[in-house]
Amino acid sequence: MPELGRLAVCLALLCALFSIGASITGALRRRRDVVRSGTHAAYATFGLVVVAAAILLQALLTHDFSLEYVAAYSSSTLPTYYTVAALWGGQKGSLLFWALVLTFFTTLVQWQNRERNRELMPWVTATLMTVTSFFLGLVTFITDPFERLPTPAVEGADLNPLLQNYWMMIHPPSLYTGYVSASVPFAFAIAALASGKLGDQWIRTTRRWALFSWFFLTLGNLFGAMWAYEVLGWGGYWAWDPVENAAFMPWLVSTAFLHSVMIQEKKDMLRVWNMVLVLLTFTLTIFGTFLTRSGVISSVHSFTQSGLGPFFIGFLCFAILVAGGLVVYRLPELRTAGTIESFFSREAAFLFNNLVLVGIAFAVFWGTVFPVISEWVRGVKITVGPPFFNRVNAPLGIALLFLMGVGPVIAWRRATPKNLWRAFAFPVGAGVAAAVVLLLAGVPFGYAHTTFGLGVFVLGTIAQEFWRGMRARQALLHERAPQALARVIGKNRRRYGGYVIHIGIVMAFVGVAASSVFRVEVQQTVKQGEEFKAGRYTLRFDRIENREDGHMAASAAVVSVFVDGTQIDTLMPEKRFYKKPKQPTTEVANRSTLREDLYLVLGSYDPQSKLATILAYVNPLVVWIWLGGVVIAFGTLIAVWPSAAERRVEVPVPDRAVRAG
Amino acid sequence: MLNQRRFVIGAVLIAAAVSYLVYAGIKTTSVYYFEMDEFVARRADHAGEDLRVKGWVKQGTMQWDAATNRLAFDLSRKDGSEPVPVAYTGILPDMFAEGREVVVEGRYETPGLKAKQIMTSCPSKYEAEREQGATHPGA
Repeated sequence: MPELGRLAVCLALLCALFSIGASITGALRRRRDVVRSGTHAAYATFGLVVVAAAILLQALLTHDFSLEYVAAYSSSTLPTYYTVAALWGGQKGSLLFWALVLTFFTTLVQWQNRERNRELMPWVTATLMTVTSFFLGLVTFITDPFERLPTPAVEGADLNPLLQNYWMMIHPPSLYTGYVSASVPFAFAIAALASGKLGDQWIRTTRRWALFSWFFLTLGNLFGAMWAYEVLGWGGYWAWDPVENAAFMPWLVSTAFLHSVMIQEKKDMLRVWNMVLVLLTFTLTIFGTFLTRSGVISSVHSFTQSGLGPFFIGFLCFAILVAGGLVVYRLPELRTAGTIESFFSREAAFLFNNLVLVGIAFAVFWGTVFPVISEWVRGVKITVGPPFFNRVNAPLGIALLFLMGVGPVIAWRRATPKNLWRAFAFPVGAGVAAAVVLLLAGVPFGYAHTTFGLGVFVLGTIAQEFWRGMRARQALLHERAPQALARVIGKNRRRYGGYVIHIGIVMAFVGVAASSVFRVEVQQTVKQGEEFKAGRYTLRFDRIENREDGHMAASAAVVSVFVDGTQIDTLMPEKRFYKKPKQPTTEVANRSTLREDLYLVLGSYDPQSKLATILAYVNPLVVWIWLGGVVIAFGTLIAVWPSAAERRVEVPVPDRAVRAG
Repeated sequence: MLNQRRFVIGAVLIAAAVSYLVYAGIKTTSVYYFEMDEFVARRADHAGEDLRVKGWVKQGTMQWDAATNRLAFDLSRKDGSEPVPVAYTGILPDMFAEGREVVVEGRYETPGLKAKQIMTSCPSKYEAEREQGATHPGA
């Protein structure tokens, strides 16, 4: 069977290469039939990759330890769902998985556009198949997941215990989905550049894809943060590790893109800028994949150091050269007449929002690659850590939050003093009032305080928008308030969905600011029955409970939690000792409330002296970050839901029309 | 055209602000990162400075006292040569073990390193070991 898998991969690569050739030839010679054969070859690529992935999955599920990959990432005692997750748990499998997701999206895009975008589609196919070929090439020639061991292993080495976690089932797939789907807007951008159809057709077609990609990048980042928070046990959720940054940078640029396309759609400006953003998002996704796999920059959670680096660098250069070359070639046609008239306009606010987002991405990029650059330039590695990223990004984040309030409500073109008053009197009042109340309540002036004040300002603008939209409809159509609100949202899904997403982002901002600035950290070595304080909590270490099964042995500290003398909870932070491979892991005990998390870690336990070292963190408002994620998901759903008019258009085309075409 | 120019100035101002933040941030927070060889060669120049040093935990040198949370070990080259004593007080990282590759962040005070933080690189190291056959099931 594994040989069949390898065969499927090789054939898939051939199909993909054929598809590139046929699509380009067909587009240049205007031969419909040739284009169609390219499309069909792309479908075949998808089918073959599905076969290959299915064979690898079957090998994992049947514990075929004659395969190096299966022996390295699973074992006969590994639960089934982690065995499935092992498909993307290791380097080789993850590349195949990437190809699987990409070919699936390619198929989806082709099916969506079977009757549309005739001039763009061959180029779209060619671009997506080029990316596919790169990954399939790696799987075929460099890291073969179907490689056999010289002698079959008796038992597998098992998935890394740190990965044996339910997040493994959801975090990598959502991040991959976000990464891979960023290829679709990229492919359409390349298609627009190659075919010369530079209007906003490509943007309209990929609007949902861009939002889809952005949404999964958001989820991937959030899930990664939750995973780190719950599993790694250092009390935080974000460490500015290169791999985290690798997922964060495309998110930033993709956020900028989602905003600046609105300017192109409404005002036909920023065409070049949008091209650059979409190309940048894609290259950053490849760069991110490269960072996690090349070992160029040391990181806590990268894959095996491997020889893949040069191939990724090569592909990156290729993508940048082709995309950059096309942009330069089309530059005269891309220029537009529209200019921004005033600083006080929505165009300006959006442009500045874009610059700040890209600025943050640049700062993160620079901090991430700085060790490498400094080694090139000065011959010595200089690293920067979380203090650098926090210092740089806190003021930029504040600026971004401010612009998030300004952008959606300021007038287009040029805001008059009257406009400004009408748009900002209430939100600014609310923000200032909140800031004063917080100061009086004892919140010290600083980043957190500013974030809270600006957060209220942004929420004020959003509330005002909802209110005015609803009132306008009520005045016109005499609808009841809930109905008017539902209708006004239904008629402007993108706009109001966007506002809901903004609410989620504000929640995340508030959570991040509060938990970064006001967190309490206590480390205490205690004997049985001893108490210590952490924030407003009193913690008492009662005893150690030990248990053991075939997989691991665990020691849990039983800690009673008191507030004002009354016991409110019992928490059990744990150390586990996995038997295969021999490795301890930390199991955090987290008591999460809307106000704050009490996060306990059993640092160590000494059986001789019976002393336990317990770390206690009090992290305020962390839950609001995760709740923000839920709100973002809800807002995205509103924004992508097809409107009634679109649903009518989506009626399937009769079969005959397809043949006639 | 006047407006256009004003915007270029606005954009340049933002770019300048970002550049300044990055520059100042790097200036105040950056730390030298040495491989063991470099560290041995240049440590005399960097006494008392915060550094990051990557090396291996020498076999047979790890001393851990769970009651006081004190850790002492020798950081060395992969083959165990050029050992440098490291002292650390705090939680023992899960992935810390003899023979593993670690990054020590701390201050160099002759003769050794006073560590503030010890970073273990988990999955990559874990996989690398296996590839060398150390824990390989078939080996």
